Amino acid sequence: MRGDWPRAILVASLAAACAGACKSTPVVEPSVPASDLVVLLVDADTGAVGRVRVSNAEGAIDLVSARAATRIVANQPPSPIDTLTDAQVVQAFGDALSALPPPPLSFTLHFRFESDELTDEALALVPRILQSVKDRFVPDVLVVGHTDTAGSTAANLTLGLRRAGVVRDLLVTAGLDPTAVEVISNGERNLLVPTDDETPEARNRRVEISVR
Amino acid sequence: MANRRFWIGTFAALLAMATPVAAQEQGAAGRVKIASGSAFIVRAGAEIPAVAGAVVYEADGLKTGADGRIGVTLKDNTRVSIGPTSEVSLDRYAYAPGEGQFAFAMKVVRGVAAYVSGQIAKLSPDAVRLETPTAIVGVRGTSLAMRVEP
Repeated sequence: MRGDWPRAILVASLAAACAGACKSTPVVEPSVPASDLVVLLVDADTGAVGRVRVSNAEGAIDLVSARAATRIVANQPPSPIDTLTDAQVVQAFGDALSALPPPPLSFTLHFRFESDELTDEALALVPRILQSVKDRFVPDVLVVGHTDTAGSTAANLTLGLRRAGVVRDLLVTAGLDPTAVEVISNGERNLLVPTDDETPEARNRRVEISVR
Repeated sequence: MANRRFWIGTFAALLAMATPVAAQEQGAAGRVKIASGSAFIVRAGAEIPAVAGAVVYEADGLKTGADGRIGVTLKDNTRVSIGPTSEVSLDRYAYAPGEGQFAFAMKVVRGVAAYVSGQIAKLSPDAVRLETPTAIVGVRGTSLAMRVEP
């Protein structure tokens, strides 16, 4: 009997305390919302700074200068641009940046008009190409055939493939592992020098090789 | 005994089938060039160890543990890497300039990722799409990094 009243008060005050504390805890404690960070970097190989647009349903922002960064939280537009320091870039992204593979090496070999015969300059490049393959840890090589716009699109696709095949065979004969080479054709759809259709252009008759 | 032999035989057959994958694969999107620590290619829900030289296909994911790192060079010379405790998925990849086909869509699920553009961004910039859980990143070249914090 005697203890009933104080006990009732105790229970009531505990309930009140919990109502306040338990409910308000998530509100009062500033929880860190999940966020994403995007940064535009200087291309380590060319020194170029590109351009990136970061957008979501709430807004968009363009990153156009070195180390420009934006933070994005769900249901909010990307934050205004913050330019990171080099040290901040290393701290936030260094673990990924250090795992980027070395840049591919590219070689361009040219062909005589409407033929799959390489020019002498092109033949002279072969030893350098083979050496660059040897220098790679796990090399693979993409050989891409190109033509000028003389002739039909379909015929040029075929000619491009034939040119790429000539180069592959040449490299394999010179010692390249054939399982590490892939051959494709761009035909006349990726001109080095833009021209009208049906235009012979020596600089467009080429095979591009990427060693990576 | 017979059962065991069957499984060994099956395993050997699978290995024999798997080995030519090291040869140039049609449809390969690229290759792992750098791998260290706990590093996996996620393919159809299964985790395959990501070793240097391994082929990566469209729809594959890359995933690392706390000590892992992976760097991949794709067919068009795009390069992608991830740091520890990270995951990305290469949702779309197509590079067939002769047919005018270009696609590059990669989602950063968690952790940290770096991207250096290749021929796809050059020949068809609108075909490049990077995603984080909260944003879409359109690329006009060339080098960027993304971090997704839980």
